[in-house]
Amino acid sequence: MTTLTAWLRDPSPTSRRQARLGQAYLAWLRLKRNRLAMIGLAIVALLIIVAALAPWIAPHDPITQALRERLQPPLTPGHILGTDDFGRDILSRLIVGSRITLFIIALVAVTAPVFGLIIGTVAGYFGGWTDEILMRITDIFLAFPKLILALALVAVLGPGMENAVLAIAITSWPPYARVARAETLTVRNSDYIAAVRLQGAGAARIIWGHIMPMCIPSVIIRVTLDMAGVILIAAGLGFLGLGVQPPMPEWGAMISAGRKYLFEQWWVATMPGMAIFIVSLGFNLLGDGLRDVLDPRNSGK
Amino acid sequence: MTLLSVKNLRVTFDTEAGVVEAVRGVSFSLGRERLGIVGESGSGKTQTGRSVLRLIRPPGRIEADAMTFDGIDLMKASERDMRALRGPRIAMVMQDPKYSLNPVMRVGEQLMEGLRQRDGMGKKEAHAKAIEALAAVQIRDPERVMDAWPHELSGGMGQRVMIAMMLIPNPDLLIADEPTSALDVTVQAEVLSILDNLVRTRGMGLIFISHDLRLVSRFCDRVLVMFKGKVVEELPARDLMKAQHPYTQGLLNCLPRIGGPREPLPALDRNAAWAN
Amino acid sequence: MALIEIDTLSVTFTAKGRPVRAVKGVSLNVAQGESYGLVGESGSGKSTILRAICGLAPVSGGTIRIGGQPLPHPRGPAFSRQVQMVFQDPYASLHPRHTIDRTLSEPLAIHGIGNTDQRVTQALNDVGLPPNFRFRFPHQLSGGQRQRVAIARALMLEPSILLLDEPTSALDASVQAETLNLLNRLRAERGLTFLMVSHDLAVIDHMCDRILVMQHGQAVEELPREALARAEMKTDYARSLFAASADRMLGA
Repeated sequence: MTTLTAWLRDPSPTSRRQARLGQAYLAWLRLKRNRLAMIGLAIVALLIIVAALAPWIAPHDPITQALRERLQPPLTPGHILGTDDFGRDILSRLIVGSRITLFIIALVAVTAPVFGLIIGTVAGYFGGWTDEILMRITDIFLAFPKLILALALVAVLGPGMENAVLAIAITSWPPYARVARAETLTVRNSDYIAAVRLQGAGAARIIWGHIMPMCIPSVIIRVTLDMAGVILIAAGLGFLGLGVQPPMPEWGAMISAGRKYLFEQWWVATMPGMAIFIVSLGFNLLGDGLRDVLDPRNSGK
Repeated sequence: MTLLSVKNLRVTFDTEAGVVEAVRGVSFSLGRERLGIVGESGSGKTQTGRSVLRLIRPPGRIEADAMTFDGIDLMKASERDMRALRGPRIAMVMQDPKYSLNPVMRVGEQLMEGLRQRDGMGKKEAHAKAIEALAAVQIRDPERVMDAWPHELSGGMGQRVMIAMMLIPNPDLLIADEPTSALDVTVQAEVLSILDNLVRTRGMGLIFISHDLRLVSRFCDRVLVMFKGKVVEELPARDLMKAQHPYTQGLLNCLPRIGGPREPLPALDRNAAWAN
Repeated sequence: MALIEIDTLSVTFTAKGRPVRAVKGVSLNVAQGESYGLVGESGSGKSTILRAICGLAPVSGGTIRIGGQPLPHPRGPAFSRQVQMVFQDPYASLHPRHTIDRTLSEPLAIHGIGNTDQRVTQALNDVGLPPNFRFRFPHQLSGGQRQRVAIARALMLEPSILLLDEPTSALDASVQAETLNLLNRLRAERGLTFLMVSHDLAVIDHMCDRILVMQHGQAVEELPREALARAEMKTDYARSLFAASADRMLGA
């Protein structure tokens, strides 16, 4: 362990890989100091572990109905978080549902930011007409409330998890394009970009190799902060019956199902609500911490 | 009479890469005189200046056996007491006026803000006082400058405004950290003579921090030469040419001269042992 | 024939919808192997001339010729191999997220030059940096070390002309001496032509054979180096600039 940290902390690394890992290690040390960010990271890590092990740790089958045990309150033996209106164990449904949540988050996280990043950097770098056209398209997407646009898309494409993901991705790229463009505008006129232009680099090389690395931190921060919103939209679509279809244990759909019993059997809607709340909080805390670590304005000091 | 006395000042930063000692046991005392602190970047001269105002942000830490200003123990003073000292009694002028002026406030408002809030002056009185301060730093058209936004000022003008702002409460001690290195040579000379004049006539103490040894010596009574967080030599400015320490001599000789020979400039010898 | 010929060059920027004339009809010639200095205060347009040569500033009039050829738009790969620039602020001119290795090998990759490993180590060696700096990031380097990297980067393509935009004004006096020595050594070794901008007359005097004093975008006076040391200026402005640098005289 000590040889590894010594290798990572080596001020004069001997290879590209060591240099990069060393930087990552320093960033990790900085992140570790931020207690709230570590709590966020723990929540996100827990979500991933639970999702990975869901079939093995869920105490009951999340789908099989047991009408005799319906609407049991929390802390009932065998059903620590109670059961829903079909007698299914809520804890088990939450655990299995974490897979769906994670799946949606992961898919949105790898599509929307990448698309937004490309649009934003290209618009910011070229400026002029390219910028006008790309940014007006972005504005059109931004002009619609996210949920309404997602609803319209799902209505056209038909309900289902994949379509929900697609709709969320299509509605959530514009902010990333904006962030990337803003970052590009500040970077574009810097001396190091002038230097590489002077060396004869083409636009594609400059955007890909020199501008994007400067935009990625802000986009990553934005992504983690947005994850809470993505969960909520996915839940909203599920709630409206346009996302994941029953009997799949999606958290939003679970809240929707619990709505009817909100006053007498509060736990049916509250437990998935708590799950959404905790995971959203986790991503938000992590995003805040990452902002302090990754913000290019802070590096180098 | 001693205005400021610093004994064994240490400034350390706990970073991910380990503990960095920026200032390692600096002691000096200052009367109503002009003291220059000279060194290369990283020598700890700026941190020394900032420590006097306790303006070192965490993870930085200030330690000292004693640091007193006019009978006040700066190490024990509360944050509230420090705020009362910063500005009215100890003022600081930084290198670049661009970052020291509020960009969304007119110059006049910034000048008058302190007068009106701290001293409870009326608008008219504060205005007159601000105009007077701008005139003192030889701004020819103070009315126009009062109405200007900071971005409309040139570097030299901005630095004069900063000096005017710092001098309005008539502080006892002025800490100037590279106040002219962002300025053109012709403007530099003007700003320096203004500063010099003000310090003389008002009988202030001055700590002048710079990397330019010749500039400092022309302008100060006494010079501290810092190297790697330590004072390697302290000497009266007029004896600069008789400097004993090889580091001081190196700093003196490494500048190119107009009409000087074309041979390579002497490189500065940085013997780490001097800082031990 | 001069290597760099600039004839009545004008540069006009548009700031807030109004045209700002940064350079107004400046002409100058720099011979092969010469070191030419541009002096003036901030806003005199001296740096803008360098940027105009690189195609980084909007030229509104006049011509720039290198080796007798007018410069193409955009500048193209042949220009990159002939002219390179060292920027003023070494804290802003190196990509903060690229290692020194990446910064130095990028020009080789752009121009399809092989043998990267050997060339990068050689370049570090040429500017006096130890080989174990190769995989460091800029923020692990001091200002002087960064400027050495910037000089190494400018020389990767083996240009014949180096444009120097206040290469030492962001550095300590002691580090400035080292950097100036390095530049002079490289010029002697490689027969480089320098076009250097500075506000410091002493630096210009140390580095340059001929000097052009500029003010408000216009050329005020051209002086050979000997005339500067003897204070033989013809214009009042050049004289006032000289007077302000009196403490930089030999024997001062």
